[in-house]
Amino acid sequence: MSTAALPDAFLRAIAEGFPPDFLTREPSELAEYGRDWTRVYTPAPAAVAFPRTTEEVARLLALCDAHRVPVVPSGGRTGLAAGAVAARGELVLSLRRMSRMEPVDLLGNTVRVQAGAVTEAVHQHCAQHGLTWPVDFASKGSSHVGGNIATNAGGVKVIRYGLTRQWVLGLQVVTARGQVLELNGALEKNNTGVDLRQLFIGSEGTLGIITEATLKLTRLPGKQDVFLFAVPDVAAVLRLFRDARQAPLLLSAYEFFTERCLARVQRHRKLRSPFEAPSGCYVLMEAEATDAAAVEAWLGSLFERGLVTDGTQAQSASQASELWALRESISESLSATGLPHKNDIALPIAALEAFCVELEQFFGARYPGWEICLFGHIGDGNLHVNVMKPDAMDKAEFLAHTKQADHDIFALVRKYRGSISAEHGIGLLKKDYLSYTRAPEELELLRALKRALDPNAILNPGKILAP
Amino acid sequence: MKILVTAKRVEDPESKIKVKPDGSGIVQEGLKYKINPFDEIGVEEGLRLAAKHGGEVVVVSIGGKEVQEQLRHALAMGAHRAVWVNHTGTLDQLALAGLLQKVAEKEKPDMVILGKQSIDDDQNQVGQYLAEFLGWSQATFASKVESLESEQEKNKVPALQVGADGKTVRVVREVDNGLATLECALPAVVTTDLRLNLPRYASLPGIMKAKSKPIEELTPEKLGVDVTPKIQVLKMSSPPPRKAGIKVPDVATLVDKLRNEAKAV
Repeated sequence: MSTAALPDAFLRAIAEGFPPDFLTREPSELAEYGRDWTRVYTPAPAAVAFPRTTEEVARLLALCDAHRVPVVPSGGRTGLAAGAVAARGELVLSLRRMSRMEPVDLLGNTVRVQAGAVTEAVHQHCAQHGLTWPVDFASKGSSHVGGNIATNAGGVKVIRYGLTRQWVLGLQVVTARGQVLELNGALEKNNTGVDLRQLFIGSEGTLGIITEATLKLTRLPGKQDVFLFAVPDVAAVLRLFRDARQAPLLLSAYEFFTERCLARVQRHRKLRSPFEAPSGCYVLMEAEATDAAAVEAWLGSLFERGLVTDGTQAQSASQASELWALRESISESLSATGLPHKNDIALPIAALEAFCVELEQFFGARYPGWEICLFGHIGDGNLHVNVMKPDAMDKAEFLAHTKQADHDIFALVRKYRGSISAEHGIGLLKKDYLSYTRAPEELELLRALKRALDPNAILNPGKILAP
Repeated sequence: MKILVTAKRVEDPESKIKVKPDGSGIVQEGLKYKINPFDEIGVEEGLRLAAKHGGEVVVVSIGGKEVQEQLRHALAMGAHRAVWVNHTGTLDQLALAGLLQKVAEKEKPDMVILGKQSIDDDQNQVGQYLAEFLGWSQATFASKVESLESEQEKNKVPALQVGADGKTVRVVREVDNGLATLECALPAVVTTDLRLNLPRYASLPGIMKAKSKPIEELTPEKLGVDVTPKIQVLKMSSPPPRKAGIKVPDVATLVDKLRNEAKAV
């Protein structure tokens, strides 16, 4: 379907049944609303709709279903797997105007919000009561709650709080046919058979449009200490992790990166390492001390027991940000200093060490001289594998090689029962590789679900599963 | 040689700073604090001088119990001991310099290093007052000739050059039209500019050790300084908010607006 290919009858129905500012076909808006943070696909939606109420969403979807108009739901569009990309003349359904937040329920520790509420706005809304919705990541200033839920977003605090899924009590969802489902309300307990709410969390907009949610809140965390440790290798990263889990701390981040990542961060961002001598790996740990004296004893013992070779603790909020910047500028620095090929994989934590050894051997034998930059939320078993293009190789040759390398990496991921997409989702970008993590029987069930909920395949078609 | 370094507690720019609606000060609630970055540079320079020439770095801070956090930070970086002048309430620049004068007369250092200003009120006065009160030579805005990516910086070579006889210090300072080099007789007061060095991170062993280093407690009464403010802050206000930008359709309109509205060309 090309742009401008929306059926006339559909456009007439929109003009008659909705406010004049409901739909736009302004080219700059189309370009903006047709893409997310990936830059692989050229945005080409037919139009963008901005409903204000659930009732409008329901009427719109019923119309789209009747006229077979494909719909791409759109939140803050900060995704990294092209789940919100509209590149084939779809209608983009933006939840931007649905950003209302109700007062915080202080007895139930919940808040009801519309899907278009910005994640950070929800944080600010709850913080005044000493509460928070602990879904947190760098893009929180743009991302929407609806998008967070539809992608079951991860982020930097998963180790302490888990994924978005854990923090959603109730959902209001509009189906492809325009039915409004109220799923679970604000109930903590509701043991009445299959929990349909969970179907929509992580469905990337392929099964229904989330319009409202009741979010579960928790108390704001106490003072966080930020540490950076130097350790020789991945095995040492995991040894320290095992130890930190037993320590009198509440871990809220346990991130690791290799010296190769740091070297590129230093080259690109001119950030300084806090350590005199380079080390094979670094661990950034953020934690809340439950017993200050016990933590001190534990920190002292790290050196005696040879668990770390060096370490520092941020002495101020500014220093904490400087340490975090070393970890958070990696992605940007790899892209600025070379051409990385990225993978975001998850493994059972117990298998990480063996996996990394095998990965290193595999690259050494098959692609000698390639630079592999490893980093990630290792406390969640989440590894970002970045293969850098060798300077002497041309881009086309490199891309051909990485395509083959992906199949090999994913075969290794499958061997260790891992996932080919830890937190970025599948969208358009990863769907060719889904079978490495999901069995054929499972994929058939997913297709059956899709057919049952969206028989005319109008909801985010082509995402996750090939049509 | 003995070096006395200041470590003022200031608001961390990471926290959002808001002026109280009545203009009597800033909203304290939820604020985070840190060592004044110019003072942190002073601590670093002191440590480098002590490493090169031998001696001791004594760090001093003035304020309530909470300034011990900043003293511990400097001790964790490697300072040998600390002096805490316990005082709550407003202090003006004259009172601060008066207190530091007494501490300096008690400690008898070869050099006092202070930040050229603190990032909270940016006064840039205390170092100069202090030199005057003590009757010592002063060198303000000390800077480094070499770049902060140079080998000297990597090897932690001090930028302040103490004479072979230990009686003078040579200081390069940033001035409007370039660099000026001063040679001062010791004891002297030196204030640091931003490009003097890159302060080290406190190592974990350093942080542990700092917890048992001594902090000596003094008070304005013990030092015999009258700290009644002579300067009074009348009102604080936020700078006017920036107006939103506009888009102009073409160059002609831009030039017209620059000429007639902004009066910039």
